[in-house]
Order: sequence, then structure tokens, then C-alpha cells
Amino acid sequence: MSPAGPLAEPTTKAAAPARKRRVWVWYNDERVLGWGSVALVIAIWEAAARLSGVSPLYLPQPSQIVVALFKMFATGGLAIDLGWTLWRIFAGFALAVVIGAALGVWIATSFRVRAIADMFIAMLYPLPKVTLIPLLIIWLGTGGPFMLTISFLGAIFPIVINTVLGVRQCDPGLVLAARDLGATPQQIVRKVLVPSAIPSIFAGIRLGLGVSIILVVAAEMVVGKYGLGARLYLSGQILETEQVFAVLIVLAALGIIVTKVQDYIDIKLGRWRLA
Amino acid sequence: MKSPNVAIELEGIGLTFAPESETPTIALNDVHCRIEPGKVTALIGPSGCGKSTLLQIARGFLNPSRGQLRFVEVASGKVTGRPAMATVWQAFNLFPWLTVIENVAFGLEVAGVSKQEREARARKAIGAVDLAGFERHFPRQLSGGMRQRVGIARALVMEPEVLLLDEPFGALDAQTRLVLQEQLSSLVETSGTTAILVTHSIEEAILLADKIVVMSARPGRIVSEIAVGLPRPRTFATTQDPEYAQLFDRIYGLLRDEVMRAMIIESEKADT
Ligand SMILES: Nc1ncnc2c1ncn2[C@@H]1O[C@H](COP(=O)(O)OP(=O)(O)OP(=O)(O)O)[C@@H](O)[C@H]1O
Ligand SMILES: [Mg+2]
Repeated sequence: MSPAGPLAEPTTKAAAPARKRRVWVWYNDERVLGWGSVALVIAIWEAAARLSGVSPLYLPQPSQIVVALFKMFATGGLAIDLGWTLWRIFAGFALAVVIGAALGVWIATSFRVRAIADMFIAMLYPLPKVTLIPLLIIWLGTGGPFMLTISFLGAIFPIVINTVLGVRQCDPGLVLAARDLGATPQQIVRKVLVPSAIPSIFAGIRLGLGVSIILVVAAEMVVGKYGLGARLYLSGQILETEQVFAVLIVLAALGIIVTKVQDYIDIKLGRWRLA
Repeated sequence: MKSPNVAIELEGIGLTFAPESETPTIALNDVHCRIEPGKVTALIGPSGCGKSTLLQIARGFLNPSRGQLRFVEVASGKVTGRPAMATVWQAFNLFPWLTVIENVAFGLEVAGVSKQEREARARKAIGAVDLAGFERHFPRQLSGGMRQRVGIARALVMEPEVLLLDEPFGALDAQTRLVLQEQLSSLVETSGTTAILVTHSIEEAILLADKIVVMSARPGRIVSEIAVGLPRPRTFATTQDPEYAQLFDRIYGLLRDEVMRAMIIESEKADT
């Protein structure tokens, strides 16, 4: 054992983190690190693009992209494209939520319906949905019904599958308790099976919305005249690289907003999370 | 509430579980028993002897393979329909997404009782199990003992003629158990319902029951019926009574042999 002098230091150091008031240091702050590193990358990008003299056709400067973004919103009708894309995504997606959840409950609670649906799900679910675009265009053209269908098809499978899973994972003890308290089979479905499946249904909705967004943007790239996907494709065709980046930023922002809203709903759904 | 007047008669009840994939299990064989109205009947027996199965048969959730289940009006001796029943579960089986008061009011809600009335009745039942102030809590925010008190309130609010208790305190620690046993004893006494209590605890059976039915190892039969004449209210002090010790020894003697047999049966089952 060494004498008291050298020992004293480690003791006080160890005691320090136990104190309530912590000193704020920038490199310990989650936000500073997160946003800071993004800002740093953008700054390096800006500097590199300016100094290297590389053509903006390949790599525009972030400042040029921001300018392009504002111009596109102000005079280029990007807001209209955004509106089109949102409408296409959410119309089909909303339909998929309603039909998918109802269908999922039906499949989960009826042996016959399950036997039939299992076959179709097994055949259609693994199919990458983008591969349906050509066939759907032949059948529906490239207008509203096509977009509605593609968004709907993207969302419905995860929603149905997760709803079935959630309902079937319901604790049989809860069903028995409800029956014991006099609930009819319909009441058991409405008041026990569906509520117990809510977290799982919502997980399906999350996945489904993601697929809907991908499919609608992909479909717009193939056939659209309006919409973010169409804008992206056309900008690429005429080598307006800043505009390509600008549309990508809008899509990324859309993704962030959707995720945040879902996180918020997830927190609100806390009462459905089991003990 | 009107005092219960329907006895439950089990005559030669047998039940064989025959899952397609496995060898059939004879859970119950030739069970004869009469559950007297307004009394507490305890079912005690080794694990797997068919106690829960018997309760489910009485509840009407399982159909016996053999024998007859009858509900008999005592005064007239006439066979009648199933009296109102409610169950308290070993695993509590509370709805985790509903608050305490919503859980307790569930049975009234599905029966179409108005919101105002069911809230008032649920509130009263919650008060009766000493949980006033916890109406808006969710089950996960409560301790095990409190959860089972919600379970008891949820059953009692239905004013059942027959209360079915399937190891209601099996998941609780010994101290909580003692307190809840006393509480349940007085609740059942004041409500005057018929009760069937499945338990593994000899102590619990003696403290709560008017009659103790001892069951054999699987296939479950009834080995013995023992009347408990100890005065009420019974509390922890009752366990000091010499009559208590006598009863305990007698039941333990009967059970020990059956539990040994049950262990042999289970190990043979595991071998095959
Ligand atoms: N649905 C079922 N299918 C097949 N076998 C079953 C089923 N339910 C119960 N059994 C079997 O029947 C026997 C009696 O079961 P039961 O649950 O009634 O016993 P128990 O006396 O309540 O046991 P414990 O004290 O452990 O709760 C057991 O051997 C059990 O494995
Ligand atoms: Mg049991």
C-alpha cells in the first residue's frame, strides 16, 4: 500500500461523478455531437466543392442546393409536387390501415379465413412490390387509381401480418377473463383482442407507411408528371444536380417528420404496452 | 343481493383431454361432490390433479366427457339453470390497457350498464378491497397483492351467486397472502356468496373453507371431504387453535401420499 498522499487523489476523483451538479462540457452533449457533426460534414463539403473546382454537375455546393431548394418552392412548384406525393402516399396508406387492420382481425379470429389468406399472403408477400408496377400500369394506367393501388399494396401486407400476429399473441387468460365476465364473442374481439394487438398493429402501420413512401416515389419516377419522384427523375435527366439534391432533402425531411410523429404516437400508446 | 340457494352437484364427472398429437390425459375420473350454497368449499390436491379443470367444468367453459353437472335449487329440490358466476384467477388476468376502475367495471360495461351506474358500483367494489384512490392507476403500476385485489373487486362487482377462486394467492408472497386471506374471508362472508376455492395451501383451506375436498393424484378423484367447524371470523390467531392443528395433520396425511403418487406419475410421464 502506498502512503496517504497518492491515494487521496483517486478517492476524490471517484467521488466527483456522484455529485449532482455536472459541469456542462460540449463534447458530452448529445445534441452538440449530433448536429455539430452534420454541420461539420456540410462545411467540409462546401469547402471541398469550392476549392477543388469540381463541376457543380457532379457535386454542387450545399449553398447552391439551398438556393435551388428555395427557388423550387418559391417559383418552381415544388410545393405542388410535395402535395401530390403526400396525397398519393396517404390516400392508399389510409385505406390500407382500415382494410388491413380489419382483415387482420378477421384472419386471426377465423380458422377458415386464415387457411385461405395464408396461401395468398405466402405467395404475394415475398414479391418485391415494385415488380408489380408494369402490370398495374397495364391494368390501371398511370393516373390516380394506379397510385392509390401501389401505395395500398405497399402498406397492406405489413399491417395485415402484424395485426394477425398481435391478435394471436393475446394472452388466452385475458380472453377467458372477459368470457367469464359475460363478454360476447364480438365484445371479446372489440374489447380484448384488438386492444391487446394495438402495439403490434402500430408496428405494422409503421412498416407499411415506409413501404408506401418508397413505392409511390418509385412509381412517380417511372410514370409521373407531378410528384417528388417525377421531379427527382426529370431533374436528373437534365443534369440539374442541385435540384436532385433539393428533392432528396425534401424526401429526407418527410422521412424525419413521419418518424417523429410515429415516435410521438408510440409514447401516447404507452398504456397498451404490457406490464 | 338475494342469498344463494342453488347447490352444484357433480355426479360421476370425468374428463379426458385427447389432443390429436399426444396420448390422452385422464384429468378427472368419477368425481362426486356437492357444493352447498352460501358456503366456501376448498379443493385441495396435488399439482396436475385436475382442480382447475373441475372449476372450468363448473363454470361451463369445459364439458365433462362423462357424468353430470347439475344445479339444484335447495328449497324445492328442482334442477335450475346455471347461477351467475365470476372467477378470480391465479395469474390475475387484468386487462393491462385498462385502468383499475375500467377493469373492475368491465363486466358491467359488456352487460350494458350505464356509465354512471357502473362507475359508482366499481368505485364501491374498489373501496371494499381497500384500493380507493387507485382508480386511475394501470395494473402495471400496482404490486401483486394490489392487482389481485383488483381481480377480486372485478369478480365481486358482478354480485355473483358463485365465486370461483383458482389459486387466487398462488402468485403472492407469504405475508401478502396472509393479509389477503383475511380480507377475502370477510368479503366472502359479508357478500354471502357460494365460493369454490382451489388452493395448494392447507392453511388457506382451513382459514377460508366450510368444507375441504381433498383430491387424489391424476386422474383426480375425491379422496375425502372434511368439514371445518372452526368459529368465524378466522384470523391468524386461529392457527394457534388445537382444532386447527388436528385438521392440518389430517389433511397433510391425506395429501402427502397423493403428492408422492403425483410425483411418480409426473416422472413416468416425463420418461415416455
Ligand atoms: N387443454 C388441455 N389439454 C391437454 N391436457 C390438459 C389441458 N388442460 C389441462 N390438461 C392436463 O390435465 C391435467 C389436470 O390439469 P389441471 O390444470 O386441471 O390441474 P390442476 O390440479 O389445476 O394443477 P395445478 O395445481 O398445477 O394448477 C394436467 O395433467 C394437465 O396437464
Ligand atoms: Mg390449476
